[in-house]
Amino acid sequence: MANKLKSAAEVVQSIPSGTHIALGGFAIARNLIAVVHELIRQQKGDLTLSQGVVGLETDLLVGAGLVGHLIMGGGSLDRFGPAHCVNRARETKSLRYEDYTSLSICFRYLAGALGLSYMPIKVLFASEILERLEAGPGASDVKRSTCPFTGEEYVLLRALTPDVSFVHVQIADRDGNCQINGARWANEEQAKAARRLIVVTEQIVPTEFIQRSPERTIIPGHRVEAVIHQPYGALPTCVHGCYDYDADHLRLYVEHAKEPERFKKYLENFVFSCRDHWEYLEKLGGLPRIEELRADPISGY
Amino acid sequence: MPVTEGTKGRHAQSDIRATEIMAAAGARELHDGEVVVVGLGLPEVASVLAKRTHAPSLATLLETGVMNPRPKDTPVGLPDSRSFYGATCLSGFLDVMGMNLHRGVVDVGFLGALELDRYGNINTTLVKDDSGKVRYVNGSAGGNDVASLAKRVIVIMRHEKRKLPLAVAYLTSPGFVGGRSRQELHLRGGGPSRVITDMAVLGFDAATHAMSVLSLHPGVGLEELKANTGFPLHIPNEIATTPLPTAEELRLLREEIDPTGVHLK
Repeated sequence: MANKLKSAAEVVQSIPSGTHIALGGFAIARNLIAVVHELIRQQKGDLTLSQGVVGLETDLLVGAGLVGHLIMGGGSLDRFGPAHCVNRARETKSLRYEDYTSLSICFRYLAGALGLSYMPIKVLFASEILERLEAGPGASDVKRSTCPFTGEEYVLLRALTPDVSFVHVQIADRDGNCQINGARWANEEQAKAARRLIVVTEQIVPTEFIQRSPERTIIPGHRVEAVIHQPYGALPTCVHGCYDYDADHLRLYVEHAKEPERFKKYLENFVFSCRDHWEYLEKLGGLPRIEELRADPISGY
Repeated sequence: MPVTEGTKGRHAQSDIRATEIMAAAGARELHDGEVVVVGLGLPEVASVLAKRTHAPSLATLLETGVMNPRPKDTPVGLPDSRSFYGATCLSGFLDVMGMNLHRGVVDVGFLGALELDRYGNINTTLVKDDSGKVRYVNGSAGGNDVASLAKRVIVIMRHEKRKLPLAVAYLTSPGFVGGRSRQELHLRGGGPSRVITDMAVLGFDAATHAMSVLSLHPGVGLEELKANTGFPLHIPNEIATTPLPTAEELRLLREEIDPTGVHLK
């Protein structure tokens, strides 16, 4: 069997600029930080990025100027603040963006994951979201139609099939069989809609461990192209059952992201000057800091 | 209980905060056995309060896929593990918003808003300053989905003129757009039913779908309410006074549900 274990750097080398990528984080949880830092270091630009609810990972990529087209349902850094870079890009129209909702993005992925070309939905009606989609380049992805059986009005959403989906998980084996602990938002649909699927895992377990509770496998290995084993790969965002978010670093990030010049300094300090994620973790405070953030086994945070 | 004028912040004499009145008023809108999709913050606080008082079998769902959490620490957001604690089910968008909301089994959608207009249209996307300059804040996330699909929608927010404008700067989530019925708008959910602010509890007139005053919080005058609202309110002949939280509700809010005052400050 081909070895699926790859480093973030190796995987990112295989992604051409202009790729449509989908990220599996949500605000301040299970963000693909190790992958996003590598995309920034390798300057993979002109990306199309789709996501249900954006967070730190998307803010980093947009702030780094690598996203040309953003398809999103909403998002922020929760109580730490707004996604400043994403909001600034929308305000200055420095990228093409389409606003959707959590469920409509999920349904677009679901259509992709089921091999359907579209999905009917009963949201977006009478909203400015739909009005703006229909008035812009997003018009090719939304149509209104009536049900041929009942005559009911629907919005039809074109399937969303990312070139590459990334999902951060707690547990995977070497074949890519994955367990996701905690709420999963649109991870399953997003993962299975993609042409290529890459998982980043906190822990690599023997397949025998997966076989003990196979009902917990959310993504089966045969769908997974590569497994990146990167412990603490989501920091400073949280991973349920593994570690809490780093509130101090998130506050520091938000302070930097407010201003483009300060954001550049952040990238210099925490991305460009780090060879890899291990060096970045040292900058976050290394093992002593990681110990402070380690999750309590009962509460999961 | 006598309460002095000015409900912003803490009541001078009763020592009860406006946010506590809002949480208790929100809780009273939720009935035992109902299914509610809640946003974080005061909606979540109110739903937990309802569950610990009169509605023990209320099903509380979060858009992320969390059902019936009993958080012991205050979460910073929906994906925070603190909001998973004690849950009876952890799934995803497709389950909560697809096979519950879209399926039509959610009784109540409980939301916050940046702006809300007289027909219950919600803006959670952007704000415009006086010169028309746009500042993005967030987007819909699950807000439009909840507002479109829940059988009824409760909005909880601060009562300020700029937050209750004649027209929202961006119509993220529809209420009775243009005063039209939900059927005309092709929306399955019943639309907005209550607006709970730090000054009043409001509803929507059955005939015109325009926002209507139901009760004023103790110490709030009708003129004060009108002066803090950016559109004409429907004023019925009788306006009640919002009941203050009970001693037990206050104890639960202060000692158990939000002891550090993250949402009730």
